[in-house]
Parts: sequence; C-alpha cells; structure tokens
Amino acid sequence: MAKPNPFLALSTAAMALPAFAAPQPVETIVAIKATTYQEEDVPQRDVLAGSDERYKIDIAQFRLLTPVGEKWSLGVDVAYETMSGASPWGTIMGADGEASLIMSGATIRDKRTEVSLTATHHGESRSISVDLASSDEDDYEARAVSISGEWEMNNKLSTLSLGMSYSSDDIEPTDALRFGRVQREEKISRSLSAGWAQVLNKNSVVHVGLDVTDHDGYLSDPYKLRDVRPDEKLEWALSLKYRRYFDNQNAALHLDYRYYNDDWGINSHTFHTGWHQNFGDNVRVVPNVRYYSQNEADFYRGTDDFGLATTINQSSDFRLSGYGAYTLGVKLIYSALQWDVSLSIDRYISDKSYGHDASDQSHPALLSFNMTSFGLNFRF
Amino acid sequence: METYQFNFQAMGCPCELRLAATDRSLANEVAVICTSETQRFESKYSRYLTDSVTSRVNNASGLHPVTIDPEVAAILDYSGVCYVQSEGLFDITSGVLRQLWNKNMRRLPTDSELEFYLDKVGWKKIEISANEVFLPIKGMQLDFGGVVKEYVADVLAAKARSMGIEHGLINLGGDICIIGPQPDGTPWSIGITHPTEGNSAIAVIELSEGAVTTSGGYERYFDIDGLRYSHLINPETGWPVEGLLSASVAAPTSIVAGSLTSIALLKTPEDGLLFLEECATPYFAVDQQLGCHGNLGEVCHA
Repeated sequence: MAKPNPFLALSTAAMALPAFAAPQPVETIVAIKATTYQEEDVPQRDVLAGSDERYKIDIAQFRLLTPVGEKWSLGVDVAYETMSGASPWGTIMGADGEASLIMSGATIRDKRTEVSLTATHHGESRSISVDLASSDEDDYEARAVSISGEWEMNNKLSTLSLGMSYSSDDIEPTDALRFGRVQREEKISRSLSAGWAQVLNKNSVVHVGLDVTDHDGYLSDPYKLRDVRPDEKLEWALSLKYRRYFDNQNAALHLDYRYYNDDWGINSHTFHTGWHQNFGDNVRVVPNVRYYSQNEADFYRGTDDFGLATTINQSSDFRLSGYGAYTLGVKLIYSALQWDVSLSIDRYISDKSYGHDASDQSHPALLSFNMTSFGLNFRF
Repeated sequence: METYQFNFQAMGCPCELRLAATDRSLANEVAVICTSETQRFESKYSRYLTDSVTSRVNNASGLHPVTIDPEVAAILDYSGVCYVQSEGLFDITSGVLRQLWNKNMRRLPTDSELEFYLDKVGWKKIEISANEVFLPIKGMQLDFGGVVKEYVADVLAAKARSMGIEHGLINLGGDICIIGPQPDGTPWSIGITHPTEGNSAIAVIELSEGAVTTSGGYERYFDIDGLRYSHLINPETGWPVEGLLSASVAAPTSIVAGSLTSIALLKTPEDGLLFLEECATPYFAVDQQLGCHGNLGEVCHA
C-alpha cells in the first residue's frame, strides 16, 4: 500500500484535537436519504382470504443540523413515507390443521409525515436537548416531547446521559363503522433513560444504558378481527455497547447487546455486531449481522379464538409470538471533504426455529424483508 | 469597519492580533480572551514553569506516571503521528539534546556525551495510556515547543471566529492563522523574513483563509570553531541538521502547517523539498544557496 500523504495524515490526526473537535457543530449539515423497504409476499397456501401482497414502504428523509450563535444548535428532521400492501387481520386454524391468515383484501395505501425539531444548548462539558416531534398518518397521530442531557466527567473519559420523553398518540382507524372497529382511541407513553459511556483506553469505549417505558391506553391493533391486549405495558431494556478501534487494521469493531423485558411476558435478546473497515481516507465498508430472539407474550395465541369473551386478552399478532430473526447487511460509505455518500443493503429473515423459546406453532405471517438505503450528506 | 491591532509577548515570541470589528469593544473583548487563552497554554505547557504539565511529566521521569487530561492526551497523540510521518525526525523527546548544543558549550560534544543523551531520546520509549504518561528513563524530557504554539494559533482563530470576528489575523511568532480576508476583501500580505538579511523580506504570501507557518534554521543558531550550527537537532544522530534555510507551508490549520515546516527543515535540503512536494500543499522554501522553491508567494528579494 502506498504511504499516505503526510499532509492528509496530519490533518486527520489534528481533527482529534479539542479545538477542532468542538462538541457544538461548527458546520451546517444537510442530509437526504431514500429507503425502500419491501416485505416478501406471504406464501399463497397460508392465506385463507385476502391479498398475499405485503408491505412496501418508500421513505424519504431530510435532516438539517446547524449551529445557532455560539452555544446553540438546531436540528430539523422530516420524514415522508408512502406505504402500500396488505396486513394480517387475523389467524385461524385452516382445514389442514395449520394456521392460516386472513389478510386485508384490497391494498392499503397510506402516507406518514414526521417532523421533529431539536434544540441543543452546548455548555463547557454538558449539553441539554429539547426535542418536539409530530407524526401524522390517515389513521394515526402522534405528538412527542423529550428532554435529554449529557455530562462529561473524569477529564471527559466518562459521559453520563439522562433523558425523559412523553408521547401522546391518537388512533382513528379507517372504515371503522363498516368493519365494527373502534372509532377513536388514545395511548400515552412515558419513558426514562440513563446511560454511562466510559473510555477504557485510547482505542476502546464501553456504554451501558437502561431504558424504562410505560404505555397506557389502547394498545391493541384496531385492524385485527380479534385483538385484545392489556391497556398498560411496562417495559425495560438494558443495553451494552463496546467499540474497539484497531490501529493497524484501520478498522473498528462494534459489539452491541440488548436485553428487553415487559410485563406482557416478553423477554428478548438482540446481538448486533459490525466491522467498520476503512480503506484509505475516503472509503468505509461496514458488514454487519444482527440476531434477535424473543419468547411469546402471555396472551399470545397461534390462532384467534372468537369464542372467548372480548374482555379476555388474546392476540395472534406474529410480533407477539416466540421467534428469532437474523439481519445481514452491508453499508458502503464514500467520504470527501464536504460531502459523503452511503449505500446500505439489509436482508432480514425470521422464523420460529431461530428463536430461543419458540411458540408451539409457526406463525405464517413471520416475515422476510429487504431494505435498501441511499444517503447523501453535505457539510458547509 | 476598522482593523484593531494588539501586540503582546507570549511563549517566548512576539504575538500579534489584527481584528476587524465595527466597534472597538468587540475587538477588545476578543483580544482579552485571546491573550488569557495564550497565557493558559503557556502556563500549562511551558517546560520552564515548575507546575506545568510538561515539568510534572519531566520531573517524574524514571519515577512514576503522571495523570494527564484529554487535551494533553490529544496533543501527545498528534505528536505521535508527527513522529511516524517524519520517519522519526520530529520527536518531542529530542529537546534534551540541547544540553549538548547551545551557545554556552563552545565545543563539540564527545561520543560518550552523545550516547548519554541519545539514550534519553525516543518517542517510542514513552508509555502513554488514555489518561497517563510515563517517561521511563530518568532525565527524559518532553518539549511541546514544536506543537503547542501552532495549536494555540488555531485555538485563538476559532475563539475569535466564534465571537463574531470575520476578518482577522493571528500571528504567534510566525505561526499565522487567517480569519477571512481584510474587511475590503483583499487578502492579507505576509512577508517571509530573508534568511540572511534579517530585516528584509525574501517573499510575500497573500492569504485570505487558512494558516501559514514559517521556520528557519537562521532563527536560532550558534558557532563552534567558526562553524555555524542550527538549533534543529536530528534525534537519531544527535547532531544539528544542515537542512533548508527556511520553509513556509500554507494549510487549513496552523498546527498542520507548522508540523510540515518543522519536518521539512529536519531533513536534508533535497529530502525536505521532496517531502514538501509529496505533501501537495502550497509551500515556499529557501535552500542553502538562497535558491527559492515552491509555489507559495511571490519572491521579492532573493
């Protein structure tokens, strides 16, 4: 390999000096990103009624981050999604003794717009952010506010972060009267988070985080034929992250683990590892793999039981079943002085047999999807 | 808009701030912050002050590690990159060799003296962790002289910018940072001192942004037996270098420009010029025959 230009090598090294690595953004960043998410169709033999076509989502994202005065920065995020496809309405026992899906008939079309504004005050060794977010769909409105702070300690070798958020969601299902759905419901979520990041040496950092969230209100899926869930859920998660940079490989290893538990009876484990390999000063390739596994919720049923009273909890939502999933992805980033471009491709597959505590019956709606993203960032 | 000038002495050299502002009070405020920031750096890094981090590390050589803060750690990291990029010539532990080469010696060092001091030189001997540094051999010394002054120029330029200065110049003994062009839009003119004719300029550099640094073997030297020796010492041989008479480099930051000029001067004149070419950043250099090289500035008096 050719010896790097000493000017570039020194310039890169100088960027780590505190005067150039100011916590407040000194430049304005504009980023745009386009993503397509495509779920694979359900096998026709698993569909009793309705369409076998599942969700396709196109997402356009815009982000602006700019310094305001000496101590403030302002972020604006806008996302616009268009969705089309069918979703599972219910699961019943088919003639062959296997679970079969009742899918929504016609293709659902919806769009979602999300806007969030973040103002951050950067102090000497701490920063405080306030974030307001709003998301609108035909049948769903969410408003959220959060406040978070970061404090650097022990000569900046440790960082404490604390945050809290509140969100209020309104659900107004379409065709409510026609299909006997609820007409208007609400839910409220409150969460607290705390994190501690510790620099271990010049090449490695570890981060521990704890999150607690409480949901209150209508937590069922209004589109399912029979879906009755508790109107409260308390969840907590512990996350561990380890980052290690390897000088001689010009690469970094990311290792993440997350444990999640809620009072609906779900425990889940997520392992995510990525290798961030740099080639020269401009190119980075990040192959990564993620493994997820959960057991089923206490009230999960493989098939809907229409004989049960509507006051008794039950759900055949595949997301509440016991299953496991793998995501394989690769991301390519090319960076120039004032802009960079990235492309990422992910493949997700899920199955009950991948899980650590699988449900008895395999859920026909467990899905596979492909996701492709293309992003551009400009700094000036 | 008017340009206000402030002169002060710090880090062993004359310093100059030229700040354009619509009223004097802003310029004054920036100047106060800049001078106090310069003094903070001087008291923190000077090897002449006993409670500086440099003295604490040097006094603990061969004894015990000393706790350092992230700024010191970052400067040490950067110095390590300079060591690698200069192939061992830029070494912040080489200052101890000045015990052998100074105005008061009046004789060449003996081989055993050279050996004694060379043993205390070597970036690779330093033990560094995220928050500690240890010089394992008694008598080893760190000297941030070739890094900190350049870095302070960048720090002051960033401070002035963040306080609203859009046109200005920071000059710390030849390490110059530019904050935008002059208020009328014309670039700043920077004279490069003639290596042999003290008060005249050999070239003029015009800059509207970024930094330019100059160093020369002519700045400090001494004579032994009628021969002139530079104050720049090769950390591998222990002998003063006979390199380019002067080099100036323009780069986005003063710390990088300064490291490149220092490295160029530590090499032989041929290697120094080759190195500057390889960096592909604008430079101006004067060889021992007063020949001018490079694409930076206009030669006015060779």
